[in-house]
Formats: sequence, C-alpha cells, structure tokens
Amino acid sequence: MNIVGLDALVFGVDDIEGCAQYLSDYGCRPVGVTAAGGRFEAEDGTAVVLARSDDPALPKAPGAGCLLRKTVFGVADAATLEAIAAELGRDREVRRLPDGSLESVDDFGFALGFQLTVRQPVTRLGEFSNAPGSPLQRAANQLAVAPLQGPIQPRTLSHIVYFVPDTAKAEAFYVKRLGFRVTDRFTGVGPFLQPAGTLDHHTHFLIPAPPHMTGVEHFTFHFGGPTEVLRNGWNFVEKGYQAFWGPGRHLLGSNWFWYFNSPLACHLEMDADMDLHDATWQPRSVPLGADNSQAFLLRHRGKWLPGPGTPEQGDYA
Amino acid sequence: MGERDVVAVGAEADWLHLCSAAELIEGRSRGFDPGGNGCDTLFLLRWQGELRAWRNACPHINGAPMAWRRDAYMNAAGSHIACHAHGALFDPATGLCVQGPCLGQSLQPLALKVDACGEVHVQRHGM
Repeated sequence: MNIVGLDALVFGVDDIEGCAQYLSDYGCRPVGVTAAGGRFEAEDGTAVVLARSDDPALPKAPGAGCLLRKTVFGVADAATLEAIAAELGRDREVRRLPDGSLESVDDFGFALGFQLTVRQPVTRLGEFSNAPGSPLQRAANQLAVAPLQGPIQPRTLSHIVYFVPDTAKAEAFYVKRLGFRVTDRFTGVGPFLQPAGTLDHHTHFLIPAPPHMTGVEHFTFHFGGPTEVLRNGWNFVEKGYQAFWGPGRHLLGSNWFWYFNSPLACHLEMDADMDLHDATWQPRSVPLGADNSQAFLLRHRGKWLPGPGTPEQGDYA
Repeated sequence: MGERDVVAVGAEADWLHLCSAAELIEGRSRGFDPGGNGCDTLFLLRWQGELRAWRNACPHINGAPMAWRRDAYMNAAGSHIACHAHGALFDPATGLCVQGPCLGQSLQPLALKVDACGEVHVQRHGM
C-alpha cells in the first residue's frame, strides 16, 4: 500500500485563537482561518487542521483528554485508496466522504483518513555545512545565518507518537493491515513505523500507556536543517513558549529535536535531518533510556561569561 | 547581635517576595522564576478568591514545566490547572490530577502569605 505519509492532523479545540497564534508562531502558514478553525500548512501543503471541539463533523477522540480527532494519511494513487477500503472494510466501517477521501478507525479508536496526497514537491536545497574537502558546499557568498523576517515555515508534516494500551496489537494493525515496516524498536516499549511510500525513518512511534492515557505524546514537522530548528526554536522561546526537551539529536532516526508544550494536549516538536531507510535496513532494538534517546542535549544558558555585574556569590552556582 | 535578631533575620529570609496580591485577578495564573533558571519554578493562581502557589512541576515527570506559554497554566475553559505536556487536568482548589498521565497524583503546594501591605510571599522551603 503506497501510503506516503501524514497529510494532516485534525484537532478539536476550545481556544481557536490561542492555538492559531501558537501554530503561526511555530512557523505554519495559516490558510482559510476563521473563528471556526482552519489549516496551518507546511511548505508542501501538509497541515495541522483546527476545528472547534464541538464541531459535529469531527470523529470522536480516542481518549478523554486527547484533542486529536483524526490522522489523515496521504496516499500515492487511487489504487491504494481502493486497497485500503477493501482491507479495512473486512472488519470495520469505511466511510467515503464527499471529498473522495476514506474515513475509518484503528484498533484503539484513533480516527484515520486516507486521501490522494496533497503534498506538493519541495525542491529547495536543505542545509549544507561547508565541511572542508566536501564536494557539497554552499555557493560563495551564500550565508548560513541570514537575517530572519519571521518564523521559519516547516517543510512537511513528519511524524506522530501515540500512547496506546497495547503496542504489539497497534503495531500489528499498522504492519499487517496498512503495510507499514518496523524500522527500529525500543525494547519492550514500542516500534518506529514507516509506511511503504516513504523512506523516512518513521511517521509513527508507539508508546505503551494505561487506557486512560490513549492519545498523543507529540507530533512534529520537518524543518530544512538543524540551524532552522535551533533558530526557530530559539525565537519560539523568546516569544514566551515553553520548551520541554532539547535542543538535541536523537540516535534512532538521527533527527534533531526540540520539544515544546502546546495547547493541543501534547508536545509539539521541531525536527530536521531524519535518516532514510529502505527495505534492506535491519531494524535495531535498544533499551529505552537517555543514552539511547539523545546523542547530545543542549541547554540554554542566559549568561555565559563572568564580568560586569557578576554577583558576589558568582553566577555559576 | 542577639540570638533573637538572628532568628528574626533567618525567618524573614525564608520568605520570598513575588508581587502584589492585587495583580492576580480571579482565574488567572502567573509564573515566577526567582532563581533566574530560564524557566518558571512556581506559579500563583487566584481561585475562588484565594491565592495559591504551586511548584511548576507536573507529577508525570519530575520537574516537567506545565505552561504552554508564559503564565498560561489553565486549560482553555478556565476550569482546571493544566499540564500542557499531555493535557493533564488538576483541581485548582486541591491540586489533585483528575485526568491525564498522573491521574490521582497532586501538584506540590508552596506555603504563601500576604503581608499587611498586600504583598505576596512564598516560603523558600519546599521550592
């Protein structure tokens, strides 16, 4: 099944205005936003969609505290849509919506949508470092750190992480029913999952949790490189948003990360430079822990040198 | 300096001045970073007229900060304190988690006093 990745995540919220400001400051482009919600797009057209929590058109949330109402997949062709309809139709309802998309549900109540992907090609180069001797360098006079006019728009919707009561059962649904591959695994915790139509290390990661937590740990968009993550995250913090973890770099997937609290009842990450894997890749299985979760972790320090204004007791206690 | 003076200075030093009580209106929260850590370590909330102080530390992970933006510790409805890591909700009167990963656990309160001039102080002990 040629599922190419996430096309949209639909959230039902009470504070449209606050969430809209948050997503705009994160870097998404508001499209058709009103008091009833709207789209917040990455460069390729993938998006977070906001709607009012009492909008009757929204599917049910998978858990009491979860604001995610639908995970929409982009697929490559009509044949994939028909294959999904036939496969899921064996044991659950598959609705055909007026826009031509499919709507169904996974084994833990996460509403799923499937549509011909909205993704538009993004062809701009990503970040290049001028590594001495490398045949790939920035052109002369091209600045790595040019002035910013505002938030940096992410390139595409990357991945989402679910809390589910049974990761083995959830993994089986995505692998056996929708053709995902396991790329890596935290032993005894859960798998990183990749649909067949992308080489990205993962579009999904699954974490086991009690049923009352069923919902979302985080989701993220891909940015153009580590400098974009760091600069955009820095400006996000300067605007008053609350960082949780990062910036740093993961080991499994190698992606740079910076996690933030959000008004969407989950963390929102900024990520960049994720590994690509094809069918020849052999999945790793490693214990969950700090050493296997981050290659390094950077920490903000407001003051970085002693000198004028240094208090009697020093500034490094 | 007599022993009584030393005790008085020590007791006074245990209280940290935050702001004027009049700055906190009903249902609104405000965070404080008295140590200059770059992240608020406590927040105040006026709820049903009473001022309360809580550590900015969700019980789901030791020390996890709770606001989603500066001073935003409440849910959208204004009915509960919320951790904006995963949407956990807390009773604003008791600090008890009623929904979320830390269901049944509680926020950690800090002792608080309002002096004769209407200034709010929290006890350093417990921060």
